[in-house]
Amino acid sequence: MTVMRDTAVKALANVQVQSDENGLIPEYEVLVNLLPIKLLNAFSERIMAAAPPERKAEVEAGLVRAAYECGYHTGCGIITSDIFNDVVMPMVTEDEKDILRGAYAAFTAWGWAKSGIVQLKPGEKMIIRALDYYEADSGGEGLRGFMLRGLSQAFFDLAYAETYPDGMDTFVCHQTKGIEVGDPHGEFVVVKK
Amino acid sequence: MALNLEFTMDKETYRHSLNGHEMVMHSHHYLALITKMVEDLTDLGGPEILSDVTEETMIMILNDYFQKHGLNDSEERLRAGEDYFSTFGLGRMHVSGDADGGEARLTSSHLDEGWTMKWGPHDKPVNHLACGFISAIFSAAFNKSAKSYGTTETASIITGEPESAFIVTAL
Repeated sequence: MTVMRDTAVKALANVQVQSDENGLIPEYEVLVNLLPIKLLNAFSERIMAAAPPERKAEVEAGLVRAAYECGYHTGCGIITSDIFNDVVMPMVTEDEKDILRGAYAAFTAWGWAKSGIVQLKPGEKMIIRALDYYEADSGGEGLRGFMLRGLSQAFFDLAYAETYPDGMDTFVCHQTKGIEVGDPHGEFVVVKK
Repeated sequence: MALNLEFTMDKETYRHSLNGHEMVMHSHHYLALITKMVEDLTDLGGPEILSDVTEETMIMILNDYFQKHGLNDSEERLRAGEDYFSTFGLGRMHVSGDADGGEARLTSSHLDEGWTMKWGPHDKPVNHLACGFISAIFSAAFNKSAKSYGTTETASIITGEPESAFIVTAL
């Protein structure tokens, strides 16, 4: 049995995080925060707009990097968490492939991106299609899926690079299509760096 | 007073909302790196941008909450602002003051503790997101628009202090 996406999405969507008496949310081996999507999108657009043309790539790389490191460290906590063990791991029969399928079920369920894997060559390449992702609403010019780029790179590193925490920056993710530029869906391609 | 929390999810997109405003989970790695990035982009106004977008967004969210729940008392509004900060997992905030300004303290802080976990202590306060959040609480509590208050972080958990402290001044 491989990961049944709808089952995993529905089960993971019910997970709710709650802050403790210190106003903190320690989950998945990290401190979790909840932030308004409007704030995150406005921040990305405002900081991109502030950068002169010759520095836009630097700012873009910073936004992707934030998502990447968040994804790499939090991702490790997610795929070893009780909820992932309970919901996804019983359906895993194809090792890394199924763990990645489970990860994209989590991305969907937790509102990062309604996304899934459309092509996977283990350890080489992965193509992701996203039918909805919050950065598509950012209102900026050009491709804006910084967060999903970082997360996709992170999870491919977790699946196929050196064992955590030694596998960082093995793969890279490029966005090739975007809802924000008029495409019917976002497309993200992960390849060896 | 306890904040009324209504978590909902769009069944088509799976986006999650709190009290009608779309929200998303990230970790301390994300906020620490965003904060580090704006520090590195100080010449582009990075810290002010992070503080400003937080202030503008939170004024909108708080005003919406106050209107829906008929919250007119300034003290109750300040408490609601503190509760939002905690609900977001950003730490424990204590705010006091009036329409002329006031102060805020963080007895725990997602950003400061997260940064310290990731890189160790830092030599100066960097909680620009909290500055914007606090300005928003004062503006919303006293029916003012954005940029009516300036918030300065005067002490910080990130530098080894037991609490972070902020001074709020009416502009």
